[in-house]
Amino acid sequence: MKLFAHGCEHRQAAYLAGADRLGARERIVLEAHASTCPDCADALRNGRPVDIALRGAFAPLRERRTMIAPGRVRLAIGPSSGTPNRWLPWPRLFSRLTEVSVMLAVTMFAVGSSLEPSTRPAEPLSPTYSVVQEYFLHARAPLDEIDFLRWPKLVKADDSPTVSDSTRLPSGGRFDSDPVDVVRATGTSPR
Amino acid sequence: MKTQREPAAGDSRTDHDLVYAARDGDTIAFDALFYRYRDGIFRLGLAITKDPSAAEEIVVDTFARAHRALARLEPDSSLRPWLYRVAVNLSYNRRPRKGVVLSSLDDAVDEALANEEGSPSRVAEKAELRRFVLGAVDALGPKHRLVVVLHYLNGLNLTEIAEVVDCPVGTVKSRLHYALRRLRTHLAAHPELGIEPTRPLLATGLRAPKPITAPVPLEGGE
Repeated sequence: MKLFAHGCEHRQAAYLAGADRLGARERIVLEAHASTCPDCADALRNGRPVDIALRGAFAPLRERRTMIAPGRVRLAIGPSSGTPNRWLPWPRLFSRLTEVSVMLAVTMFAVGSSLEPSTRPAEPLSPTYSVVQEYFLHARAPLDEIDFLRWPKLVKADDSPTVSDSTRLPSGGRFDSDPVDVVRATGTSPR
Repeated sequence: MKTQREPAAGDSRTDHDLVYAARDGDTIAFDALFYRYRDGIFRLGLAITKDPSAAEEIVVDTFARAHRALARLEPDSSLRPWLYRVAVNLSYNRRPRKGVVLSSLDDAVDEALANEEGSPSRVAEKAELRRFVLGAVDALGPKHRLVVVLHYLNGLNLTEIAEVVDCPVGTVKSRLHYALRRLRTHLAAHPELGIEPTRPLLATGLRAPKPITAPVPLEGGE
């Protein structure tokens, strides 16, 4: 029992009669059935013009040709020879080995530098702190006004060559310069 | 320049022999397969993608895949279903290129009709009719359109279509039947085609049914 069948079960064959090239015997049986079944008669009668219309519409397209040469396929496939060159993989292998060794070196460097702080002795203070300490805690500021303004420039914080003073303090509306230059210019009067 | 093409294009060996020869490194045999199925695959790709350059790429990709699969191919009789199946998959997987306006199937008809003989008005009528029919085919769903294209454009029978779309013959019959019914409904709007509207319309009294006065003629060869 066909639950969802609409119309006669032969109607599909009637539509496909033009397309599927029914044999003579099948065609006679179908036509005999169509004489008593209006659905199949309708399908048989109208299936043929649809088939003709489709064949006519597709006819010019069936003449469509392309001029592609097989060389394009060979290009797409790529170069292929019967016996592969056995030296061919070596450069690739070397480049791969280089990549791996560089990667290992970088990894070891990163791991080693991350372990370093725990093994290194703790530094007492940062150089910046020591300079500030020297300026404002251990040195006595002069009471004279001009000298007070010059004081940060004249007093050299630390002469030891290991400590680098990267701190530049403002003095008199401009940044201080190298203390050596200031000492050299002591003979001149300030502007 | 046709020194190498002609022997490959006119090779009378079967697909089975050509595949085995190509597997042994015979490039002429592979070229023969290429020339044998190149145009059919191009038309199929064109019908699905509606882009001639995409269709050419599909031809190239299909044969590149065939070349890679030569060791596995075991064609019993014809390589065509296998090639068409690959071409259909490639066509449907291909995304439309940006900036390319896809033409409909009927645009390709214009080029073919340019060489057609007859009065200009008659040629224009034919072109309009074909455009109408192909527009109705374009309006079908992809599965049904594929079956129609494979049957009417590429000339495959139902068994071959079933191999291409990888489903039973009964399913192909069902899809083709559905497509033809839909097309009949669409094409009945054009009076020159002589197709009656479907039966629900008949019941409304729009058009009287024609009685069968003579038996339908037997199918002749095309």
